[in-house]
Amino acid sequence: MDDVVVLGCGLSPFRSSRFDGSIRDWVAEAVLAALADSGLEHQQIDQSLMAYESDHLAGQIGQGVIWHDTLGLTPRPTARIEGCGATGGLALRSAFAYLRAGLSRCLLVVGAERVGKSVSTATAGEIFAMSSDTDWEFPVGGHFTAYYALLMREHMRRYGTTEEQLALVSVKNHGNARYHPLAQKPKELTVDEVLASPLIASPYKLLDCSLLSDGAAAVILANRSWAQANVPRFSERPVVALTGSGCATDYARAGDRPRDALAHFTAKRLAGEAAYAMAGISEPLEEIDVAEVYDSYTGAELMAYEALGFCPPGASGPLSEEGVFSLQGELPVNPSGGLLGFGAAAGATGVAQAVEITAQLRGEADPRRQVAGAKRGLSDCHAGTCTVAAVHIFERKDI
Amino acid sequence: MDPKVKLELERLRADDPLGRSEDPFADFREVLLLGLEHRFRYRHSLGKSSRFFLALEEGVLLATRCERCGRVWLPPRPVCPNDLQVTRWTELSGKGTLESWTLCPRAPHYARTGEPYLLAYVALEGVSTLFLHQLRGVGPDALQHGMELHAVFGNEPVDHPLERFWFEPLEL
Ligand SMILES: [Zn+2]
Repeated sequence: MDDVVVLGCGLSPFRSSRFDGSIRDWVAEAVLAALADSGLEHQQIDQSLMAYESDHLAGQIGQGVIWHDTLGLTPRPTARIEGCGATGGLALRSAFAYLRAGLSRCLLVVGAERVGKSVSTATAGEIFAMSSDTDWEFPVGGHFTAYYALLMREHMRRYGTTEEQLALVSVKNHGNARYHPLAQKPKELTVDEVLASPLIASPYKLLDCSLLSDGAAAVILANRSWAQANVPRFSERPVVALTGSGCATDYARAGDRPRDALAHFTAKRLAGEAAYAMAGISEPLEEIDVAEVYDSYTGAELMAYEALGFCPPGASGPLSEEGVFSLQGELPVNPSGGLLGFGAAAGATGVAQAVEITAQLRGEADPRRQVAGAKRGLSDCHAGTCTVAAVHIFERKDI
Repeated sequence: MDPKVKLELERLRADDPLGRSEDPFADFREVLLLGLEHRFRYRHSLGKSSRFFLALEEGVLLATRCERCGRVWLPPRPVCPNDLQVTRWTELSGKGTLESWTLCPRAPHYARTGEPYLLAYVALEGVSTLFLHQLRGVGPDALQHGMELHAVFGNEPVDHPLERFWFEPLEL
């Protein structure tokens, strides 16, 4: 079957506020960058998929169609893709399906979200809490840091995972962000600084929590045969293909899941297994060179290592101490800085992960965060407390 | 600022976030911010979960039991997701054990609770799922996995029916 290849990638800077532009402007920035990267004209795109989570955050319903016409893509087809934190990943998966089904030959995926200071942190928290169960979780004072904290406490009880091990993830990801010029919070941190940051919901402190970001990301995908015939100098550039896509779901309220699964992201494990099967991966730690995982909270990154088979259940904390997932480690995770250091803009996040993995596989990332010789990468995002998980595998295909 | 406009206005000069020497958007660096507000009010039906909330008035906790697979769901589900059988209401003892908890020093503004507050997953007697609610009458240092809890009903007026009760340690 024809490979689905990445032709172009673009990002807007992720920032705590982008009052210099509206979300339409950031979308245009990311797409102009992706088009320049691809060497394509916008008229060559035959379909767009628009990834964004919240009409409330945007104060606009139907903004996907507005972005589409902002980009001069009418009268071509478009669709909005939404799955809370998994939105960007679901858009990649939908793009894969459109291209494989022959509905499109060259497709633009745009992810964007306005999560920065257009609303107060309290309002952003309230809007995100409305993506938990508004009849049962929201009215008792539930919020996402607390939901994740409840899962992590069980992980700590079961496996002895420590707050220091959580803090190490924050130190790593903020540190990695120093090497990304578009990152929101590049910072050299110590474990003690993370531990001393204000408590939000035990065991999570402020520096265990992902950022609130304004941002946009764009990826242009195509069938390889179309690309060979239509993209100038296609064969002269590194070819990155999307070779695996997995998606799985779990009960939306974590309390409804099997009790012994509270400390595990079951949907992420199943999505990973599906993506690995498609890409022919059997030993993820050995066969994957670089990964961007959904670090909505430091502990969520540890749970992702386990769910994605980078290590057995319970082993993520100690391996993190050994530096296995640092830039110099066996499997560098979140070289971009992730949601903790690069930024978190819901719908943009899953698309931005694909941008980073593509840069890594092309060898075009900033040398200070480039994983040497990376040939195969993974992107992973999820909704809620891993209610919907989307995992993708990207590979170099020209060598 | 334009006195003829009633919305809150803020005018600022934005720099190119990328700091490019040749800013492609140089013509567009004057920015106007508006204070916008939307208010929505819903007549929100609690639907087939309503009987749970109505029973709280009597100080009773209800859950739904699936006659086919025996699972007891709380929050209630009129249709068991395990086999899509229509369930029946069943009354609970209100006792349970502590499965997991988190201490929140600050409450979100919609939470209507004192600070700090504790949120917990409670394994209720006879229920297959874990129930999320507040834990009161106990400090975080005294909490232990598996400790016995019970539902306590308050007399103070509350906003949301779910706030009619919470959990406290079961005193022996
Ligand atoms: Zn059943």
